[in-house]
Amino acid sequence: MKHEQLYWNDINIGDEIPGFSLELDETRVCLQVSGSQDWYAVHHDKGFANNSGMPERFFNTGFLTAAIGRLLTSWIGLEGWIRALTVEMRRMNLAGQVMTVSGKVTNKYVDGNEHFVEADVWTSTGDQVNTPCKAKVVLPARSK
Amino acid sequence: MKKTAYQLLEEAKKMIGKETEQIRCKYPIEHEPLRRYCHMVDDENPLFLDPEYAKNTKYGSAIMPPFALMMYLGHSSMWPSKEAVSLIMPPTPGSNYINMAQEWELLKPIRVGDHITFKTRLADVYMKSISIDPKAFWVVNELTFTNQNGEVVAIIRNRILVHRSPEEIKQDTGEQQN
Repeated sequence: MKHEQLYWNDINIGDEIPGFSLELDETRVCLQVSGSQDWYAVHHDKGFANNSGMPERFFNTGFLTAAIGRLLTSWIGLEGWIRALTVEMRRMNLAGQVMTVSGKVTNKYVDGNEHFVEADVWTSTGDQVNTPCKAKVVLPARSK
Repeated sequence: MKKTAYQLLEEAKKMIGKETEQIRCKYPIEHEPLRRYCHMVDDENPLFLDPEYAKNTKYGSAIMPPFALMMYLGHSSMWPSKEAVSLIMPPTPGSNYINMAQEWELLKPIRVGDHITFKTRLADVYMKSISIDPKAFWVVNELTFTNQNGEVVAIIRNRILVHRSPEEIKQDTGEQQN
């Protein structure tokens, strides 16, 4: 993982956040339950998912926000802080798909003595954006 | 006689504003659950995983990944407890849940060893159609988390959709036609 510190001064609106992909295979289904401790059967039991009207098991919020968190914390470095995140589970990230996590800077500003950056971040499978999010992070600024 | 969706909605709306007491998480924040949390998305950040590394950072110890808090509540169950304690769920026509949205506000780091308490408030309930259920209920809960020092560390607003299964819809439609 990246260990360099990101500074507010070095950010430009439109910058892409380095992303990554995860294969949502059977092992990942199990890891999802282990890591999130969300035992709702729709996330790990295909029959239950189908009987609920779903085409496949879909990955849970804990998993999705963990992936978004990995993207953001890797990007902002040790001195950065995630202040806020809104997450919308618009479409499902299904077992058997490959999920990509990406982001792009949309705004930067100073409020008081804090330096903020806002970004759109999302999970997608193929060209379909499934989990659009808005993040607000605080970054250190280089002294003049 | 089974209640209609509109009757259930009326009951549900009366619950808006209901709050739990302060609930103390069963366990303090521990290393191993955070390691499993990180593993599920291949997050190798040493700030979350390596106490030796983390003690030399400004945090002084390993901290919780920012969005792991809901996991720690065991929001679907905290076995051996039979019930989820983190969300207030009103009566609904369906019993199938889909989490639709969350708004997180993160105020302070949570360290391994911290002990978290939270309170939940039912903020809103409404009916809004979805493709598979015209009488789906949407439930909004607001959770406020404090640490052992009484400091608010995070606030989460969670919106959850509760819908009927195709079988339940068939049954309800049949009952309405009789």
